[in-house]
Amino acid sequence: MSIWSQPTGSLIVDPTPTIKNYARIAGDGYYIRGLLRTLWLSLATTALAALLALPLSWWIVRRAGRFRGLILTLVLIPMVCGALLPTLGLMNLLGPLGVINGTLKSLGLIDRSWKLLGNQTGILIGLVHAFLPLMVLPLVSALDRLPRDVEGAAMSLGAKRLQVWRRIILPLSAPGLIAGSALVFCAALTSFVTPLLLGQGKVATFATMAYQQASLVLDWPFASALAMVMLAILALIGTAAWGAQKWAAET
Amino acid sequence: MNATSRLTLTTALTGFVLAASAASAQDFSGQTLVVGTWGGDIERLLKEHAAAPLEAATGAKVEFLLGGSGDRMAKIYAERQNPTMDVTFQNIYEAPQLLADDLVVAPDPELDMYKNVWEGMNDGCYAMSLVGLGIAYSKDLVSEPPEWADMWNPDYKGMIAMAPYPSSEGDGLLGVAARLEGADEHDADVAFAKVAELGEPALTYTSLDEVFALMEAGEVAMAPMISGYVLAGLKEFPGIGFSFPSDPGPVLIRDMVCQVKDSPNPELAQMFIEYALSAETQKAYAEEIYFGPTNSTVELSESAAADTINSPEEVDSLLALDWPWLIEQRADWTERWNKDIMGQ
Amino acid sequence: MRLKTVLWAAITFAVLAYLIAPIAVLIYSAFDDGKFFRFPPRELSLRWFREALASPEYRSAVLNSTILATIASVLSVAFGLMAALGLTRGPLRSRPIVEILLLAPLTLPLVVWAIALMQIYARLGLSGSVGGLILAHTIITLPLSVRILMATLSNIDPNLEDAARSLGARPLRAFARTTLPLAMPGVLTSAAFCFLISFNDVVVTTFIAGASWMTFPVRMYSQLRGQGVDPITLAIGAMIVALILVIVALGEARFKWSRRL
Repeated sequence: MSIWSQPTGSLIVDPTPTIKNYARIAGDGYYIRGLLRTLWLSLATTALAALLALPLSWWIVRRAGRFRGLILTLVLIPMVCGALLPTLGLMNLLGPLGVINGTLKSLGLIDRSWKLLGNQTGILIGLVHAFLPLMVLPLVSALDRLPRDVEGAAMSLGAKRLQVWRRIILPLSAPGLIAGSALVFCAALTSFVTPLLLGQGKVATFATMAYQQASLVLDWPFASALAMVMLAILALIGTAAWGAQKWAAET
Repeated sequence: MNATSRLTLTTALTGFVLAASAASAQDFSGQTLVVGTWGGDIERLLKEHAAAPLEAATGAKVEFLLGGSGDRMAKIYAERQNPTMDVTFQNIYEAPQLLADDLVVAPDPELDMYKNVWEGMNDGCYAMSLVGLGIAYSKDLVSEPPEWADMWNPDYKGMIAMAPYPSSEGDGLLGVAARLEGADEHDADVAFAKVAELGEPALTYTSLDEVFALMEAGEVAMAPMISGYVLAGLKEFPGIGFSFPSDPGPVLIRDMVCQVKDSPNPELAQMFIEYALSAETQKAYAEEIYFGPTNSTVELSESAAADTINSPEEVDSLLALDWPWLIEQRADWTERWNKDIMGQ
Repeated sequence: MRLKTVLWAAITFAVLAYLIAPIAVLIYSAFDDGKFFRFPPRELSLRWFREALASPEYRSAVLNSTILATIASVLSVAFGLMAALGLTRGPLRSRPIVEILLLAPLTLPLVVWAIALMQIYARLGLSGSVGGLILAHTIITLPLSVRILMATLSNIDPNLEDAARSLGARPLRAFARTTLPLAMPGVLTSAAFCFLISFNDVVVTTFIAGASWMTFPVRMYSQLRGQGVDPITLAIGAMIVALILVIVALGEARFKWSRRL
């Protein structure tokens, strides 16, 4: 469908093959920049989510005890209400007169409001918030499989705490971490409501551009072409990473 | 024929017509009419004033398919071989496109419901309601009801909120901006340059709440917005006002009601549209959500009349844009808007 | 040691607070008396909770969403389990490629899916049918459940099942007695995610659903653009959260659920 087009003055798709849509994407940095920006945001979201999810999941597995079920549910709650409502709540907290800026100001830590909306910072905060559960749950089930005494055993053999994490816990939780990362990355890549609301229309991402074209301009062929270009970029990166890994393994 | 007997005759004729349609209506029980519209108050008003009487008269069932008008456009195009929707409510800039692509039934100038609508408004489909693009403003920051030109006051630079583009709000603002420079919307360069002078918008809003909250907080001074819901909402926000500017006048924006071509229930669809355009439904629209009636025979209460576009003079003062032409520019203008105005 | 424990707990609670604060804002705002979403609320009242319970439209919308999400998530986990079993137990060679192919759908925004499905459905005459809607929800949640279940199954030793079989258990029974219980956390996780994604989907449902299957999020979004957030939806959101917490707390107290996860 990405190689079709619409004649001027009509929205009915003309199925004569054309490279018009790809030429429009390639000939103009705007769309490519948007796609790359989305990639960067998704990678950053994945990294931040992993960073926050590791201690949280560890704590849930080892220390939460009887509150475990309750805390797991609390972790899931941001996903319970869909994307829209939590995002609206976040907007209120992050706004120039919101709780966060208010607290920082009254503590005398900052003079002027931090601009947390309408830029990538806001979107990042929102994306991590929205998709952290996707990282925590697979991690919890991976960490659950670790024998309870693995830490003690390693430490009794003289390992330091950091070493235990690096050598034992991280490798053993890798399947969960990888699954969680894949889910968070994909979710962030295609997230629509969060960048729309927290970016206040000033930050174009893959999904907001695709939505604008598909649902408002009603140019479906162009939206499809955009998606195809994104897939191609991902495939390229994936192949490169795979090749690099293979090369590293061989040398 | 004197007035009384003429009246009697008319009444008798009307009664006959109604009885006839009621008689033929018996056949419709068991059928379901699908009406695509917006959720919220519009759905409620249509349910009370159009669907309920139609169901009572025909025994048919009316179901509402909720969503945005763009979603409905998409559906109509995808299902053009076998439509599932009978009636759909669209924006001013979508209706002529649907007619041009031969996907809706052209409005019939012979019908009474056509004639009752203000002249020249049944563009693509039947005109359902009249609203104007005016300016919502914070009373703290803007002392009196602003004119369009006041938005360009340097004091308010970066304090203007805008609707996402493409939208009637965006096209309307471009049309106004071009006119302030002595051109009109056909001169895209002038229009975009003028709107870009406003500076980066304070935000692009997805819902009214966002604008109202930021106006109350003093972060947003003005926003080009469509009357109707905004006016209904402002009853709860004393610090926010709405101005219908005069130079140029508010941009005319219409909601349209369309009969989908080759739909499953054409007779029911037409009857539904008749109820939707009736003076009663139109009055409810105006009194409850400040959507101006398109039916020129509607008489409004004083408070509703003040907040809606309903007199011939008001209708004349509205700025009409060349919508069919604007639709053709959609793809290019969307790209320009993203780059020149949003600064992406 | 003491300090470290405190530090762990502090990090955990900071992350939890970050996750929950926005929801708390919403729940608190649901008690506002006005017709618009405001935080903090001006005048507290239960008005929107009463209206939510009284509204037949919202009642049926929440019911529709629940039924749809239940069926879709059961189907998605069932198919997902089969696919994941095939992938983890099958020949290793093709695995990375299949894995990538399965992830590819997750990288497309739902609006692209919606438009593709809508055109296919229009051609097949599936538009507006319940079956079509369930199918669509199963399709959009399937890649997710496969991905999670693969991670789970790759951690489980297939020799256990072989052992059970060699002791005379039939294949299905061997699976149900060895692998399935071990995979339960993954099954429940993916079921939860699929349920939530299906329950909250707007984009695909708006395009695919018929008028007789209005779901809760579609109703909410259809009002948002014109009028703003309907406070009734905030109240419903608050009630859903409260209901889930109560169910979990009760389940925990009575059956010690989390121990079995």
